[in-house]
Amino acid sequence: MGGPYCCGLIPHLELAHHQQLIGQPLVIGYWGSGERVLACSEPAAEAGVRPGMTMRNAEHLCPAAFIAEPRPGATVRLRERLAAALYDLAPEVEVRDDGRCWIGLEGLPAEQKSLAVRELRARLLQATGSEPRLGVAPGPFSARLAAQRAQPGRVLRVEDAPRFLAPLPAEELDLDPELMDRLDLLGLRTLGAVAEIGPRRLESQLGPPGRLAVLLARGEEPQPLNAWQPPRCMSAARQLEPPVEDREALLFIARALCGDLAAELGLRGAGAKKVRMLLAIEGQAVPEERSSLVRNPLSSQAELFGLAGGWLREWQPAGPVCGLTLEIPELEAAGRRQLRLWVGGDAVAEEVQAALERLQERHGETVAVRLVPALTRSGVPTQRYVAEPA
Amino acid sequence: MRESTAQLQHAIDKVHLRFGEQALLRATRLPPADPWPSGLAEIDRLTGIHGLPKGRLSVLQGATGSGKLTLALAFLARATRELAQSVVIDHRVGFDPWALQPLHPDLRSLAVVRPPNAEVAGEAAVALARAGAGFLLLLGELPESALTPLESAAARSGSLVVACANARDAALAHASSLTFGLERSGWIYEGDQLVGLRTSVTCLKNKLAPPGAGTELDIRYPLGAETFPEKPLLGAPAKSEISWGELALVFHEGVKPWVVRTAVG
Repeated sequence: MGGPYCCGLIPHLELAHHQQLIGQPLVIGYWGSGERVLACSEPAAEAGVRPGMTMRNAEHLCPAAFIAEPRPGATVRLRERLAAALYDLAPEVEVRDDGRCWIGLEGLPAEQKSLAVRELRARLLQATGSEPRLGVAPGPFSARLAAQRAQPGRVLRVEDAPRFLAPLPAEELDLDPELMDRLDLLGLRTLGAVAEIGPRRLESQLGPPGRLAVLLARGEEPQPLNAWQPPRCMSAARQLEPPVEDREALLFIARALCGDLAAELGLRGAGAKKVRMLLAIEGQAVPEERSSLVRNPLSSQAELFGLAGGWLREWQPAGPVCGLTLEIPELEAAGRRQLRLWVGGDAVAEEVQAALERLQERHGETVAVRLVPALTRSGVPTQRYVAEPA
Repeated sequence: MRESTAQLQHAIDKVHLRFGEQALLRATRLPPADPWPSGLAEIDRLTGIHGLPKGRLSVLQGATGSGKLTLALAFLARATRELAQSVVIDHRVGFDPWALQPLHPDLRSLAVVRPPNAEVAGEAAVALARAGAGFLLLLGELPESALTPLESAAARSGSLVVACANARDAALAHASSLTFGLERSGWIYEGDQLVGLRTSVTCLKNKLAPPGAGTELDIRYPLGAETFPEKPLLGAPAKSEISWGELALVFHEGVKPWVVRTAVG
């Protein structure tokens, strides 16, 4: 277990699409006889509506509720945006559709941890329009339970997880109703009671979920976060209206796009392993394309523009250009580019070698050479040394 | 007065907050120039900081036959032995490593970039300075647009950049921190045989110390690749009392190899 973790609880992300209905009863779900409630707002929950119950039952319990259909596409986009917004607070981030968000605080300096928690609150508030409940604890499970017990906009910090978990009801384990009934029959009604049982003994009664339940109840946190990863593709594009025929104008736009991509790469600590440029030509359905796989990843504007600008200078588009897109379909982690990490002084041979290889990729192998003595006594200068690609 | 000082401090604080402490420094806190001793004591004296400045652009300027390439090759040979990576960017000059050989370079740490045009030369110079090449020798023209990025890239990585220029290039002169002007002052004969040239070196520009100092150097031609004369081939005139730390053998750019061989007889 790494820890500590901070959990932020916000309403289900589906509810965030209806911010104009904050404070009013709202039920999300497809209307139909067999369909069930996906999410509901707090006023609806106060009327007895619960996720998982049938829509008909929900309507019966809260007749004044607004009924809205889920928007899965928009929810996925919101989840991705939220995860991306939290990713610069901590490297380990998980956001779930039901409104549970975690960030791992392990490795951050003490003052940075409290700053990250404050930022988490601010960003969740901005994204959803409602104050999150926050919990900080040694593991994701205990952090979630702490957050559930915090006031909106406040943080509940837990230092001793087993002690905090012990009095909580066993329902917090999120087991199937059948398994919950069996726990009840065994007389295990609090997490403390579950924690006192040996994992093998409860596993023999409930199967693998029994073992998991004991470890959770003991605060051993057997389930790590399913950490969000930034998408491994990025692009920047400009629509050109009216279409452009001037090469210098295209170079100017390409340089700006390279700057945008380089800034994004810098934020992600990544480099471009493959670069693709698309020119949308007026009157043509299919854009013209150039792409290249580079040996050493590109990360700065100058490096990206060195490649993209080289293409544009030689490109003969079939007509006026009405759109320019620069894509990076393959990224590489920056960790593999920290060539200076293990060397000192000016011993940056690897980095210089990488720069030479990038030049070779763009301008041919003979552009950068190393010299090997051959017939050094020859009167013909070209015979004295052999130039080998650097 | 007090109010304007407070406003200025507020503006400085904002710059620090946004771009970091290093983005704006008081002159008293600027790091001192980091010199790299060239091995030629008289040249180091002219720089005023006891060596060529790292992270800056230095220019050797003079007419053909004034000895600037010779001097640059002497720096390069020493750099190949002392620094991890040295690079020559040879745009239409025709760098011949044979001219370097008498100076005992370590060719394993030397790379030569032969760009097809000036734009690629500029791109290569910036990329290599950014990558941290220890010593960068620029032979031939660079586009003006590459000089500012080259300056900033070298300043960040600490690369030592030396450029050779035939005529006064305003953009290059503006970008350089140190400019030496070389002018041939005479030939050196032994009997009736031409064995070298005498050149005067003047510090035309120096951002790091007062400019204007000058000296004279004797440049002797190597008499064949295998025959090293006992006299140093690059040095101050015998009349001065400058001692040279190491023997430097230099082939001069202004004389074609067959001329030398003729002289060897």
